[in-house]
Amino acid sequence: MNKIGKLDGKIIDKLKGIVGGTHVITDQEYMEDYSHDEFSLSDISRMPEAVVKPASVQEVAKVVKMANLEKFPLTPRGGATGLCGGCIPSAGGIVLSLERMNNIIEIDKHNQMAVVEAGVTLMNFYEAVENEGLFFPPHPGEESAFMGGVIATNAGGARAVKYGVIRNYVRGLEVVLPSGKIIHPGGKLMKSSTGYNLMNLFIGSEGTLGIITRAVIQLMPEPRESRSLIIPYDSLEEAIETVPILMSSKIIPLAVEFIPKDVIQITERFLNKKWPSTDGSTYLLIILDADSREEMDRLSETVADICLNKGALDVFVADSPQKQEQVLEIRSKIYEAIKSITLEILDIVVPRAEIALHVKKVQEVAAKYDIWLPTFGHAADGNVHTHIMKVKLVEGRLIPFPEKEWVGKMDRVREELYQDCKIRKGMISGEHGIGIVKKPYLSLVLDDAEIQLMKGIKRVFDPNNILNPGKIFDLKS
Amino acid sequence: MNIFVFVKRVPDTESKIRIDHKANKIIKDGLNFVLSPYDEYAVEEALRLREAHGGKVTVFSVGADEVNIILKKCLAMGADEAVLLKDDTPETYDGLRTAKIIAKVLKDKFMDYDLLLFGRLSIGADNGQVQTMVAQLLDLPQINVVTKLEIEGNQGTAYREIEGASEKVAFSLPAVLSAQKGLNEPRYETLKGIMMAKRKEIPVLPLEDLGMSAEELAPLMEVVNLESPPPRKAGTVFEGEAEAAAKKLAQFLHEEAKVI
Repeated sequence: MNKIGKLDGKIIDKLKGIVGGTHVITDQEYMEDYSHDEFSLSDISRMPEAVVKPASVQEVAKVVKMANLEKFPLTPRGGATGLCGGCIPSAGGIVLSLERMNNIIEIDKHNQMAVVEAGVTLMNFYEAVENEGLFFPPHPGEESAFMGGVIATNAGGARAVKYGVIRNYVRGLEVVLPSGKIIHPGGKLMKSSTGYNLMNLFIGSEGTLGIITRAVIQLMPEPRESRSLIIPYDSLEEAIETVPILMSSKIIPLAVEFIPKDVIQITERFLNKKWPSTDGSTYLLIILDADSREEMDRLSETVADICLNKGALDVFVADSPQKQEQVLEIRSKIYEAIKSITLEILDIVVPRAEIALHVKKVQEVAAKYDIWLPTFGHAADGNVHTHIMKVKLVEGRLIPFPEKEWVGKMDRVREELYQDCKIRKGMISGEHGIGIVKKPYLSLVLDDAEIQLMKGIKRVFDPNNILNPGKIFDLKS
Repeated sequence: MNIFVFVKRVPDTESKIRIDHKANKIIKDGLNFVLSPYDEYAVEEALRLREAHGGKVTVFSVGADEVNIILKKCLAMGADEAVLLKDDTPETYDGLRTAKIIAKVLKDKFMDYDLLLFGRLSIGADNGQVQTMVAQLLDLPQINVVTKLEIEGNQGTAYREIEGASEKVAFSLPAVLSAQKGLNEPRYETLKGIMMAKRKEIPVLPLEDLGMSAEELAPLMEVVNLESPPPRKAGTVFEGEAEAAAKKLAQFLHEEAKVI
């Protein structure tokens, strides 16, 4: 099987021959950055033996082919903004960083599609798309993520309610297979019923089936108006119970987020920015888009009526770009604000109608174990991010509690919430992926037959198990 | 307290400004227009003063019908009244012309005020002239770039940031003040406010009704040319292993940038 351990000098030299000497890194200090992802705890980080940075698909193909021949593990890496250890070289070997493949090849206005290399960041992509007056709807959060990684994890984000996840926007891929062959499933096509859809297998495969080097991305015309409503409620239940009523009122918001006030306040202090309201205990953040001001007013009035009827205290409006940005920044930096006191972020997705019940369960578990479990997320698509915290929140103040107290509780809390997810016919990951962190729980929500099929697919694509081995599932078990 | 606030509709700072070089104008198509952010601080301060002392907030804007949208926004924030000083002349960038119009309105039509609030400048033109000229034309005390304001009876204290210190200025009402960032954090409109504003009539005072002569209204300024600033040069990246790259950087700083 895999050569875990030292790659010999000859291999390093050959890698340098492929990508150029300065693009093979073996300096320990420099490689430290490549040993972890955005969140992962130190116990799953691992140093690669070398970091290789190819600049073209041909170089990728040569490196992968060599890994397959010499049988050393290869872990592809994008912007490393993942939260589940997906890009950690946990079997050793090399990290293949796509950071130099960062060109936007074209934005094809006639087809409304873009062709990008895997190392293009979301930030640069949004900018390029907006400059052409077009729109790329998914917004998975961290904009330093690479397009390749976003596709490999089938990332989602808040705007999925109206526009769906990344999978809905990928039309074609360029993929390097472990054999070194380069394939191009899909294309600038709106439809294809031509054989098995191989492209979709790579989306969400977390770098285990092939290396995505390029993608064709569907774009849309830019909506003219966008508005964020910030709606305070006295109780979390009222806030969440509003959502199904809203969704059955023939309005499809871009995003419906629920956020407790305590995490908003922590984030306000962290960023030194102000949230529009200090009322209530929970907020709904509803983002709408429309093609005209009149349509926007009509939509917002309907939303406001529904919310106020369900007990909302007020409806605040952010419609200038600056105000919307301020609100969205607070929402998207919650993670950073509480990261240092977070033990684990769950990514449970349940059917939309189950969300209130699942959140209720989270509150029960929090009370039972006397632990702080701030829960927020995408209320209208059923994707809930419960954070398991190593501090308690007492009257707005953060009180640390000793490791020996939370260490045992953490596993039991996670277990109970995953069981609840299973009962509600949910999945353990809505948008983050499985990586290493969620691997032990895969069999809780997937049938053995399904897992065996997945393993079979892995063997067909990657018979020597060189691509990101040990992610999603272990082949042997 | 009777407070007048003067506001301007400007392109949003995030809009990409394109220039029509033939007509020497900015291309309005595709631009998003907003209430100038400094004016928003002025409106917010007016609302806070009213909440603390009672009174009335009236917002004025000079321009064509399209400025109604920012007047509606001010009403949605909580202003009591808004007045459109209707002027269909295309943007002149002439601060004195606008100041003369405002001064005339305040002399002849809206004479009852305690405080005239402005933003310190409108983003876009970035001139910051109008409030000072209005104060001069009406012979009123003026304090610009205010970051904190206190009013007691007909006396006020304004604070302004100056180089390395804060300046405290006492004045008596009526007075002209211009708002600087930091004066307050403007509130978000509520949907209720927006809906109320939508139904509210905005009275129109046409320029012709002011009895100003063509000479008075002729802009004294002519825009000769508009140019975009040159694009910023891309940064230099020193590639390679840390040690070699550091050497190159040091060499660059020494020999080319000449900073070490």
